[in-house]
Amino acid sequence: MPDGDDFATSLMNDMDPRLLELIQTRINSFIKWDLVRFFHDNPHTADTADSIARYTGRDVRIVEPELLQLARDDVLDVEDLAGMRIYTLVDDRDVRDLIAAFIRACDDRQFRVKAIYHVIRSLR
Amino acid sequence: MESLRIPTGIAGLDEMLHGGFLSQTANLVEGATGTGKTTLGMQFIQHGIAACAEPGIILSFETFPQHYYRDASAFGWDFQAYEAQDRLRVIMSSPEVTRADLQQINGRLEAVVNQIGARRVLVDSLSHFDRLSADPVELRRITYEFINGLKRLGLTAVLTRENAALLGETPDNEEELAFVADSVVMLRYVEIQCTVHRALLVLKLRGSDHHKDIRQYAITGQGLEVRTRFEGTQGLMSGTPTMTQAEAFVAAFLSPDAR
Repeated sequence: MPDGDDFATSLMNDMDPRLLELIQTRINSFIKWDLVRFFHDNPHTADTADSIARYTGRDVRIVEPELLQLARDDVLDVEDLAGMRIYTLVDDRDVRDLIAAFIRACDDRQFRVKAIYHVIRSLR
Repeated sequence: MESLRIPTGIAGLDEMLHGGFLSQTANLVEGATGTGKTTLGMQFIQHGIAACAEPGIILSFETFPQHYYRDASAFGWDFQAYEAQDRLRVIMSSPEVTRADLQQINGRLEAVVNQIGARRVLVDSLSHFDRLSADPVELRRITYEFINGLKRLGLTAVLTRENAALLGETPDNEEELAFVADSVVMLRYVEIQCTVHRALLVLKLRGSDHHKDIRQYAITGQGLEVRTRFEGTQGLMSGTPTMTQAEAFVAAFLSPDAR
């Protein structure tokens, strides 16, 4: 019989496996969650970490490492422009559709609880 | 040879402009907060898409795209649907990034123009360029270069600019920027007999004649509506006009009830 922790995990894993993988591997912090939502809502944004931090109401020292990780995980593109590092949402249709599915799923409280559980676990 | 006109879709304003802005020009819309600069710009974009088959771009330097979607929908314009149909792009970026992008060959903005075949652009707002330089001469050079970059892409631009004064004259640096624009439309609040009215003036239209009277306008459920000229008042652009001599003369001989 599974112990309590395993039981909770199995309950929390009960979601679309693509979204579970997205949360566990790419949207594994609350800052990234905010950033992904920001780029989903503003899909044609192309800007520096400094500006994006301002748009999302956060400190650039916290936001920039998370942007870099999202770029490394192929959620964002990063390019150099006149000495500035510019972040944009990737053009890849599959990634955009996956993010859209994640944002839609977040409308459901049960899903949000599960997603928060996984983010907190990954932050441990 | 008659130059190609780009109608704004705003009845009254197009008449003042003798048909619209000239093609591939930069058109400054200047006024205090709440005067309807962005609404005028959105209407210009909306009319291009809906009535002229001219896709458009909104370049925003602080305002979130969602705000444009929301504000446009209040006028019955579905900007999100236009984006889905590749007839509109609402791009949020900073002035420094947009400027650098426009300077390079095959930049992001150029790619978007080519992708959707954009012909019109709303830059909202040029006021944010102020942070690029404290030197007015340098700022004018940057703005001029930016405007030429938009023209190079074949775009006809409406550029909004905020006037810090709610009523009254334009600050000096505004005149600097007015010089680099091809046309200047001024939106003003004016106080007449304890009521605030909205006034619109086409200050200049390079390369064309235009109506020079100061007209009343309103923001309705369909967008801006430019109406008749103000009558019987002078000094409107000061924000606190007075009656003309003729009007004052007539008023002096009429009882309050008869006016």
